[in-house]
Amino acid sequence: MAMKPSQRKVPLLLGYKKNKAIMRGKDKKVTLNLTSMIDMFTILVVFLLKSYSAEGQLITISDSLTLPQSVSAETVELNLDIVVSRDVILVDGDPVYEIGEQLIDGSPIPLLVDRLSDHMEYTLASRGNTGEDMEINIQADVATPALLLQKVMASCGAAGYVTQNLAVIKAGGE
Amino acid sequence: MAQAASGRSRRKKRAEELDLLPVMNLFCVIIPFLLFSASFLEITVIEMSPTEGIGQGGAGTTNLAKSEEELLQPRIIMTTDEMFLGTVFGTIPVCDAHWVEHDGETIRSYDYSALGDELDNLRNELTTQFPSVPVSKIIILAQDEIRYSNLIDAIDTAREYGFDQPGLQVSAAEVIARQLAAMEAAGGVE
Repeated sequence: MAMKPSQRKVPLLLGYKKNKAIMRGKDKKVTLNLTSMIDMFTILVVFLLKSYSAEGQLITISDSLTLPQSVSAETVELNLDIVVSRDVILVDGDPVYEIGEQLIDGSPIPLLVDRLSDHMEYTLASRGNTGEDMEINIQADVATPALLLQKVMASCGAAGYVTQNLAVIKAGGE
Repeated sequence: MAQAASGRSRRKKRAEELDLLPVMNLFCVIIPFLLFSASFLEITVIEMSPTEGIGQGGAGTTNLAKSEEELLQPRIIMTTDEMFLGTVFGTIPVCDAHWVEHDGETIRSYDYSALGDELDNLRNELTTQFPSVPVSKIIILAQDEIRYSNLIDAIDTAREYGFDQPGLQVSAAEVIARQLAAMEAAGGVE
């Protein structure tokens, strides 16, 4: 004959002293001491507020490159982006030129000039000619040779982008 | 009646506690929001001045009618072996290139503090001799192999001494060597 399980409601507590202690303080409200946690959260909120950026990140750094560090404090503006990584040049995220050939001189890269000129025409057609200088942001890897940078900058100049901004990471981590 | 046999009150004094739960709720909302919008890496830009061969003037053009400021603007000449500072007063050898370990990579570097000293002297000379001409442009004339990070370091050093409009010119080693030899022959290199 199978035994029925017991119907008695016994709290699962080990040791009768614990049981007694609970029975005594049955009506007491158990509260957590949150003070230390609030302290920690306050510090965290202050730190995060300090590094809060209302405008967000205007430039997305490509994974394939490491930007150099600089003390420059000029703020970045939303412009056309050129990324010069170790093996390819991207304009607005599209690969335009593969850096595999031997660099000979600092002359403009025809493919890049064409792509930038197209972009310039499109921008002027859609936005209208405001008379302002067209600016461009160049993100280049720290190991980029000066000649390649010169070629990219010459291409930008040839396409009409007079003001060229080199994107850097502000030194000091701020 | 309310007193016990011992005569002491049974009522215990209980400290008033603040209800911190709403504060916790607020923090739990604020912290994820701030974490998402925080930027731990600040990106800035260096605006480059158009130089001959880069800007609208076209490659190799020479403007004969140079302004006084253009005539006074210095040049930081960076070769793979040495760094020079070309000024209106002559070309000064600044330092030799040396190799440093950086992130597990051996890279070429220069003594930027020595460059800073020379730029400081130049700034004083310019202020004394040409007080009415504001010189803020500087040309970085680099050999084709020079690393981008070295160019940025040179630009940063120049910025500290008020030369905050950098331009870039890149030449082959032979061209720079010829230029330096011509300066030396003319007595320009100190």
